[in-house]
Amino acid sequence: MADAEAGKKIFIQKCAQCHTVEKGGKHKTGPNLWGLFGRKTGQAPGFSYTEANKNKGIIWGEQTLMEYLENPKKYIPGTKMIFAGLKKKSEREDLIEYLKQATSS
Amino acid sequence: SSERLLQRGRGGSLVGWDSHLSRIFLLLLFVVSAQGLTPNPEACLVFSSVNGSSISCQPPAQIPHSLPADTIFLAVEFFNLTQLPADFLQGVPNLQELHLSSNRLEDFSPKFLLPVPQLKVLDLTRNSLTGLFPGFFRVSAALCTLVLKGNQLKFLEASWLHGLKALRHLDLSENQLHSLPPGLLENFTDLLTLDLSNNQLQTLPPDLLRGPLNLERLHLEGNRLQVLGEGLLAPQPKLRYLFLNDNRLASVAAGAFRGLQKLDMLDLSNNLLTTVPTGLWTSLGKAARNLKDGFDISNNPWICDQNLADLYRWLVANENKMFFRNHTRCAGPEALKGQTLLAAAESH
Repeated sequence: MADAEAGKKIFIQKCAQCHTVEKGGKHKTGPNLWGLFGRKTGQAPGFSYTEANKNKGIIWGEQTLMEYLENPKKYIPGTKMIFAGLKKKSEREDLIEYLKQATSS
Repeated sequence: SSERLLQRGRGGSLVGWDSHLSRIFLLLLFVVSAQGLTPNPEACLVFSSVNGSSISCQPPAQIPHSLPADTIFLAVEFFNLTQLPADFLQGVPNLQELHLSSNRLEDFSPKFLLPVPQLKVLDLTRNSLTGLFPGFFRVSAALCTLVLKGNQLKFLEASWLHGLKALRHLDLSENQLHSLPPGLLENFTDLLTLDLSNNQLQTLPPDLLRGPLNLERLHLEGNRLQVLGEGLLAPQPKLRYLFLNDNRLASVAAGAFRGLQKLDMLDLSNNLLTTVPTGLWTSLGKAARNLKDGFDISNNPWICDQNLADLYRWLVANENKMFFRNHTRCAGPEALKGQTLLAAAESH
């Protein structure tokens, strides 16, 4: 059972250095993630993505995020995101559950 | 057929061949520029922009012998390389980002980075480095981000990092560091994030955090720290995120958090804390931002007696920011064993 509370902690510890989630949150090294689910890659307004990310062409959702967050550089070769990935399936599930809640109203 | 390219729009006006043609051209241009110059899956991905070329290589692509002179981004990842040629970066003076993660790099030529003084990002995650050289970064005054996560560093020499005047993010996590040299961060005035998580650190030099002017994030989780001393955090009153979880902390000095004015999150979970000294928690409570992103003291063997009075008061006032309430329980005294800390606090 995915745990959004655990996911929030994972986000703060491993993602918040580069990303915000709230509506209107600023872009940092990485894009603000508001509106992520159901959106195509590389589409957060105002962020300068790599061509690699823009061209990936998938829609962000639970399954694509599960794959991506295990090994981002394998999923999007050429990405500038520096994140080795979350090996544990449960951690990815928790994080994705948190993101689902935090990036939409 | 060409007739269909001339359509009648609303109000009888003609939608002409011109606008369709320009759309087709735009589409083709997008496809060509998106796929880059080499759509062959066994070649590196190449993207060109007005700023320069971005090259990304993973197996089964071959690592190129020469790179376009305007390369600004280079990724060579997931190969079995133990070394790169000493002159690998010779022809790319404008390089800004170098991603070399997930190879098996064991060492470098001491001159490896000399051709790329504009480098801003160096990612060496998951390689086999046991050390670097004094002066390796002597021209790397522009480097903002250095990631050495997941290598085999058993110790560090401060001299290896000389030259990194602009460094903002230093990631040394997932190595085998059992101690740190004094003066490690002395000249890192712009450092924002220091990640030392998942090493084997038992103690920290008391002057560890002297040097940065505005450190924001300190990762010490997953080490073997037993004590959090009085002076460690004193040089960084503006620290915002402090991760001390998954250590062996049994003792925290009463003044350990004294100066922290802007702490947004504190993680002390998975340690050996039984109590907190008087004054420890009141000094946290005065922090201007008051741990707005939360705190975690779960999975400690708390002894729920009078000594926790300060902590109880604060818990009741801030329970909405508490992570894992159901995993934050009393280990003693016997009468309260198993009860949540929050319940003990509320009935105090």
